[in-house]
Amino acid sequence: MIKRIFDWLKQPLGLIAVGIAFLALFSVAAYGLYTTQQAPAQPIQFPHQTHVAFGIQCLYCHPNAAKGPTAGIPAQAKCWACHQQIAKTQTSVLLAPLKDAVLSGTPIEWVPVAIVPDFVQFNHRAHIAAGKNCEECHGDMSKVTIAQNPQVMNMGWCLDCHVKNAGEDHVKLVKLTDCGTCHY
Amino acid sequence: MIRPEEIKLSSEENGKWGMVIDQDICTGCQACVAACAMENNISFVGEEDSGYGRAMHWIRIERFWEGEYPEVKMTPRQPMLCQQCGHATCEPVCPAFATVHSQAEQLNLQVYNRCVGTRYCANNCPYQVRAFNWRDYQRPEPLSNQLNPDVTVRRMGVMEKCTFCIQRIHKAQDQAKAEGREVQDGEFTTACAQACPASAIVFGRVDNPESLVSQLAHKGHGVKHLEELGTLPNVTYFKGG
Repeated sequence: MIKRIFDWLKQPLGLIAVGIAFLALFSVAAYGLYTTQQAPAQPIQFPHQTHVAFGIQCLYCHPNAAKGPTAGIPAQAKCWACHQQIAKTQTSVLLAPLKDAVLSGTPIEWVPVAIVPDFVQFNHRAHIAAGKNCEECHGDMSKVTIAQNPQVMNMGWCLDCHVKNAGEDHVKLVKLTDCGTCHY
Repeated sequence: MIRPEEIKLSSEENGKWGMVIDQDICTGCQACVAACAMENNISFVGEEDSGYGRAMHWIRIERFWEGEYPEVKMTPRQPMLCQQCGHATCEPVCPAFATVHSQAEQLNLQVYNRCVGTRYCANNCPYQVRAFNWRDYQRPEPLSNQLNPDVTVRRMGVMEKCTFCIQRIHKAQDQAKAEGREVQDGEFTTACAQACPASAIVFGRVDNPESLVSQLAHKGHGVKHLEELGTLPNVTYFKGG
């Protein structure tokens, strides 16, 4: 029985069938990986590049990055502080969800883009204090609309930078490559 | 395999973080057990699994007694938690290197994302302080809101144990670094020590001779459990002092 299947697979038609099956599996896997790297849909098509072009600093909207573990996503009150003085806010279709949210008092449900799994304890403050700039991990926000990840945020990527940053300092290297520094 | 003459006692070698537990003033109120479960997102396994011996605690109050009935005498209660051994028996047996020694903090770590659930570490622990997630225990809606965001929520098939509240250690270190100073003794403590109404648990740096915990640990009549196995435990117990 098994020999008959192998014989059938060895003939040209069988080889083509194997090829098609392999290609199908490969493309499904590739598509699956591709979707994990796409920025998620947001309630508002927030244009980062416009805001950066106006000269607004990252830390104006995400001030907690310099103070605590999470950078935070600003509340609509912060958006409204500027936007209520801008005439376009009243007319723009893209800004209608912001106006609705402020008038009805319901929070905008932003979708976090740069996320790490639950078993990773990331602290923004330590990274900013170590002299990292936002764009080194999050990419150049003057070029994107909705924030997207410029690279795959995996452990190898974290450790590459940790090892490079420690340099010759052995104590620092031990601390920065210790499992318990990020996983607990 | 260590030969008996190679076994080091903790008096010769100290870790970094340590604890002192005074059994004479422990009332066995279980406040530490409850505080630990709240701080570290420990699952409530329920009655049935508890009956199978699958209850999950990172700290438990052990009670022992002496003599035959009816002349039974309780001995002081003994809070038992991971002793954060300097030479731990759980570490070398892990096939996935999920339980490793932290060189930076001198603690025994459990890396949940590496753990494959062989349970070899728990079987090899002489203190029996490791807990295994036999199921994904559910937390119905209001309970899920009390999870500590600084601690991983463990899933089924993962071993877990006391971490000496490493999230608090990191938080204190981060705070101190932001303010440009060193972490001071007594600035923070573990959840169990914080909750203890009798202050029977003291936590701190044992490598700093100035700290309260190392002064207590060197008072003389302290005992380290199963020290003769060469595990170099970092928890000192006082009894009958």
